Amino acid sequence: MDKKLQLSGKFKTAMFVLIAIGIVTVVVGLIQNPVRMWANLLLNNFYFFSLAIGAAFWLAIQAITQSGWSAGLLRIPQAMSNYLIVSMILWALMFFGVHDLYPWTHADAVAHDELLQHKHPYLNLTFFAVRYVVFFLLWIYLTQRIRKLSLEEDKHGGLTYFYKIEFLSKVFIFVFAITFSLFTVDWLMSLDPHWYSTIFPMKYFMSSFYHGSVIITAIVVILWKQGYLPFVNKSHFHDLSRYIFALGIIWAYLWFSQYLLIWYANIPEETIYFVPRTLSYFKFFFYAEVVVNWLFPFLFLMWNRIAKNPNALLFTAVVLSIGHWIELYMTIFPDTVDKHYIGWQEIGTQLGFWGLFALVVGWSLSKMPLIPKNHPYINESLHHHV
Amino acid sequence: MYNTRVRGVLIKGNKSYSQVTKDILEPLYAPKAPTWWKISAFVATVALLLGAWAIYVTISTGIGTWGLNNNVAWGWAIINFVWWIGIGHAGTAFSIFLLIVRQKWRTSINRAAEAMTIFAVMAAGLFPLIHMGRIWDGFFIFPYWNTRGPLWDNFNSPLFWDVTAISTYLTASFLFWYVGMIPDFAIIREQAASKLRRKIYGILSFGWLGNAKGWLRFETAALLMGGMAAPLVVSVHSIVSMDFSVSVIPGWHTTIFPPYFVIGAIFSGFGMVLTLTIIMRKLYKFNDYITDGHLDAVARILTFISLIMGTAYLTELFMAWYSGSEYELFTFMKNRVTGDYTFAYWTMLTCNAIIPQLFWFKKIRKNITAVFIISIFINIGMWFERYVIVVTSLSKDFLPSGWAMYKPTFIEISIYIGTLGLFVLGVLLFFRYVPMIAIHEVKHVLKETSTDPSFAENNSEKH
Repeated sequence: MDKKLQLSGKFKTAMFVLIAIGIVTVVVGLIQNPVRMWANLLLNNFYFFSLAIGAAFWLAIQAITQSGWSAGLLRIPQAMSNYLIVSMILWALMFFGVHDLYPWTHADAVAHDELLQHKHPYLNLTFFAVRYVVFFLLWIYLTQRIRKLSLEEDKHGGLTYFYKIEFLSKVFIFVFAITFSLFTVDWLMSLDPHWYSTIFPMKYFMSSFYHGSVIITAIVVILWKQGYLPFVNKSHFHDLSRYIFALGIIWAYLWFSQYLLIWYANIPEETIYFVPRTLSYFKFFFYAEVVVNWLFPFLFLMWNRIAKNPNALLFTAVVLSIGHWIELYMTIFPDTVDKHYIGWQEIGTQLGFWGLFALVVGWSLSKMPLIPKNHPYINESLHHHV
Repeated sequence: MYNTRVRGVLIKGNKSYSQVTKDILEPLYAPKAPTWWKISAFVATVALLLGAWAIYVTISTGIGTWGLNNNVAWGWAIINFVWWIGIGHAGTAFSIFLLIVRQKWRTSINRAAEAMTIFAVMAAGLFPLIHMGRIWDGFFIFPYWNTRGPLWDNFNSPLFWDVTAISTYLTASFLFWYVGMIPDFAIIREQAASKLRRKIYGILSFGWLGNAKGWLRFETAALLMGGMAAPLVVSVHSIVSMDFSVSVIPGWHTTIFPPYFVIGAIFSGFGMVLTLTIIMRKLYKFNDYITDGHLDAVARILTFISLIMGTAYLTELFMAWYSGSEYELFTFMKNRVTGDYTFAYWTMLTCNAIIPQLFWFKKIRKNITAVFIISIFINIGMWFERYVIVVTSLSKDFLPSGWAMYKPTFIEISIYIGTLGLFVLGVLLFFRYVPMIAIHEVKHVLKETSTDPSFAENNSEKH
């Protein structure tokens, strides 16, 4: 039970190689085509940030619903939420690129644009930076506090930690709902500062929960294959895949609600968003986003035997990581680069971030006992059977 | 493995299986209905008759008898339609979502919630029908062979989607509710003293045998229907929201409407479930089945949903400002937050987003009177939410010369009272003739949650 994760030297080397590839790509990319590279950095920053915060949300949901089946798996989202600290540091770099990405940061653009002047009290660099700092500190504080309490619970037992975690999870969900919504508006929606959609933050909220769950599943499968989580059985896999299945449907529901309502009402200020996305070279990815993120898991995981199969789940996770990338690509690129690019810059940056993320998560996992000991529902998880 | 020590006991009083049956069926076997039942049934019938009269006036004279005008073409009828549909969400949402996520405490409440759904949806369905004005042309809505040229059966219209979604939902909810009752009807059949009762409940239970194969198929059917009905629940209120959001009216056209309506519907539905179960538990002394823990769980869910509602209201306000569109700004800031409809707007905000936050305090969650009062506030708040959406956006649109205020007439109010009567009467009949709590489902969780020594080896501490 006290077994800790051992990171192999091979794993570490491989991850450092990936990080090195990433750094080289970013440096060369910034010299060659800064706008494109900043768009890539935003994409990847958001990508891994949303995995980390989505995992934290997953954790909070387990706590407030008093879920028993997942009690043995809680360390994985706890480790993932550690990435938020790294994410905050990397995100600070984005401030060097805001002028390449956000039209509202240009004083002359604002001067000639009534709408941007109207939005100036919200969309100005000072307040923008303040929000970034406050939001990240809140998230890091709450997730770290929950993680520490969980580790304390391991040592001392008793129900006090359990109730404290439950309360903090409620606070986290409340804080997260509001801050994440504004954060998405800040960093994604304001790429096109004229455009707005009320469902937009909710879609990314769900996407982060969705893809966070996908990566949790992938890590569970990988650890299980290495023999680290011996208690995990088909029922756990099935429950994890149910999360993916259900969240995939909800994600598609939000995507479709946004598209249908904007298409139907046909108000030019709103439809403009879909013009580059459906009519130009982005068209293929516009459909790919839905097919990969919804249709594929919907059809694939519907089959019961697939849904319980760890290899199939790992495959699903790989496909959905690509889906997550496509989603953010379709959000960021048409508004900034305005050209369809997928080349070594995109792949290299993504690989570098993967290396870093895997290293942070793996290192965090190796620092704590892999299976929580005194969680009141741990037995429900260790002997989980549907 | 179920940790009773932390999770609490679901069914109190160390019941045995036969005791469960006896307790739940007791009101059904009572030779006479209690006095409060008769009085409420009388009042509900009077309300129903008043509603019937108002509908008669509406049909014979026309919807000119309502307070609608050129601008505010949708009034109480649509408000009440959406309100009832929202309440009608709870039953299925309750049963199905909690079934899917394996929440065992649902078993004591789901039957009542599902019953409520049926009557609420029936009440809701009345409104669009009489709103047509020429009710005798109501069949136009059905997509039969078109002999009237291109004008009718507009498949692009969300109003048509509504008919499809709601009738499907009503059918599915009814089936789900009914199928769940089959084993319970069989119990009544087995215990029936009179021949007539045995005959009636025998037919109702479809000759249920209770053999292993029967149970296997029964459970599979319940799960399958649950799985299929879950998206249906979401689709119904999404489509109701599209009645508004596919338009270009400020305050109506906003992309968050589908999820926002669904959440709101579940919120109002759970609120009504809470109201109803507290009444049921009080009148029939079901305290062992509907424990404080059950009410606590519903209250917690309501707090959570209330926060989502609050966030949605804030998102709407923020986006209205962020959009920079003067029409959006006017609708939200000048016609809701301030202006002629402030009372409705702030009632909505207080009842839905602020008052339920009292549930954060354990003391309040434990005080059933307080819980009951808050649940009533939620019902009121959700009514006002629909009022705000329907009336404010219509009353002041793009053309200031056409601005108009709206006041309901006595006829409209009477129809609403009539649907309340219909709902109450339906619930009373349900109390009297159907097992209010799903006997077989309660028995299913008894083993895991009882502290009775005969069940002890199943309890968690040994592992």
